[in-house]
Amino acid sequence: MRSKLKRTIIAWLLLAPLIAVTIFPFAVMFLTAVKPRQEVLSPTWWPSEFRWSNFSDMWVATGFGQALLNSLYVSVIATVGAILISVPAAYAMSRFRFAGYGALRQFLLISQMISPIVLVLGLFRLMAAWGLVESTTALGFIYMAFNVAFTVWMLQSYFDTIPRDLEEAAWMEGAGRWLTLRKVFLPLCLPAIAVTAIFTFINAWNEFVVALTMLRSQESYTLPIQVFSLVAGRYTIEWHHVMAATLLATLPVAVLFIWLQRYLVRGLALGAVK
Amino acid sequence: MQNRFLPYLLTLPSLLLAAVVIFWPVWDLIQISTHDVNRFGQLRELNDFANFSALAADPDFIAALWRTGQWTVLVVGGALLLSIPVAMILNTDFYGRGIARVIIMLPWAVSLTMTAVVWRWALSGESGMLNSALIGLGLIDHNIQWLASAETAFPMQVLIGILVTVPFTTTIFLGGLSSIPDDLYEAAALEGATPLQQFREITFPLLKPFINIAIVLNTIYVFNSFPIIWVMTQGGPANSTDILVTHLYKLAFRIGKLGEASAVSLVMFAILLVFTMIYVRLAMREQRA
Repeated sequence: MRSKLKRTIIAWLLLAPLIAVTIFPFAVMFLTAVKPRQEVLSPTWWPSEFRWSNFSDMWVATGFGQALLNSLYVSVIATVGAILISVPAAYAMSRFRFAGYGALRQFLLISQMISPIVLVLGLFRLMAAWGLVESTTALGFIYMAFNVAFTVWMLQSYFDTIPRDLEEAAWMEGAGRWLTLRKVFLPLCLPAIAVTAIFTFINAWNEFVVALTMLRSQESYTLPIQVFSLVAGRYTIEWHHVMAATLLATLPVAVLFIWLQRYLVRGLALGAVK
Repeated sequence: MQNRFLPYLLTLPSLLLAAVVIFWPVWDLIQISTHDVNRFGQLRELNDFANFSALAADPDFIAALWRTGQWTVLVVGGALLLSIPVAMILNTDFYGRGIARVIIMLPWAVSLTMTAVVWRWALSGESGMLNSALIGLGLIDHNIQWLASAETAFPMQVLIGILVTVPFTTTIFLGGLSSIPDDLYEAAALEGATPLQQFREITFPLLKPFINIAIVLNTIYVFNSFPIIWVMTQGGPANSTDILVTHLYKLAFRIGKLGEASAVSLVMFAILLVFTMIYVRLAMREQRA
């Protein structure tokens, strides 16, 4: 018992510097977001009062609502599309033996690693040729395409862990493949599909460079671009608005991520180090 | 009969989608980089790789390439050195371990763009809270203009890069550490091995495959990392914090040198492909073992 107490003190002491540096930006974000406007530029830490109305002011002044809707729209397209396309693929890769399986799996692994930044010029020209610059729908589809490799990989890792016995039992009973799929397999996979979908959503929600390239007017900005535009190339930056916007845009997704983080690691690990 | 084609039918849409979004842009980039292109992106005749030789002669590109190397090595190396002890601490049983884990994972949960925006504000010279914190602690006596020159801006960006890379790396190592059976340490302790010997003879060798994977994956992520540098300094002042991705972005969308920009893209694509091949080999070797 005493040794655990000792371990606790040592562990927290050793982690303290890293924890301080980790929390620092969050403290800055929060404290600036609630400071009254005239105190923002003075280098004091603690605000004289918590000005919660900053959030509603910011909402109006920065057009936060529109950017929020755009982000939601783009991320939902990306998520729903990627899941609809990758569930059948992951099912096939998990339950069938077919020629080209190994090559397909390698291709998925490689294409997960290709970052959009390297291809962004080509993508932009492609979209420009089709007149789709500014289109949030097209952006959603680009995100969907870039996430498909990841979702197939994650889903297959989970599908592989579901024992086949249940499905085989259902076949024995005379259920066809489709019925088995619907009544036995998919219900078992639902949690995995949900987790994968949420990660796709977060990926799309946070993406920066493709959105920065494709979206040129404020009506189509997603949240990261909107927040960036409040900072970039301006003489007067309303930092309390920027921090309030950052906080609002970050918080829900961060909570989701922290909650689901271990599933991500398990899925990736199942895929890579099996 | 139906069953033979079914798997191909089911995998085809995702394969096509993943392929289109990669191969089409790559094909386009090859076209632009090897042909003369006007400002509006129309292709003319072949140009004998003029864009690639222009790159080799461009001091900005060489500087960005060199800085990308520094950026990648420093961030990946720093995150690695920090994450091994952090993971080992988090792997021991202590009070509040769950909270400590959540705090350390926090930077991973926030988009890089938002992190960079917050740091840009925190590092601001006159009213930035880092300066006031450091003055309050008595570490410095005047405000430092962190982002005004590359000597302070780039190291700061590297530190932030390390900070946001630690959570992922730590998580990989936690997975690795939990796979090492406790009896190994008990046996070693019985034989009288010191903690340092235990680390050198047990932890490190068994962690090595995870270290390899962390190095390769982080190298790929960090090499491609755009938001931290772009949001904080846009590669400035005077291109002094440019890495390849920001240089590429400027060439393509600020200056409009499409040919050179696509040449940079292809060079990066080739480098990435090499890293990825290494990763695939590592991952597949793990799978066989």
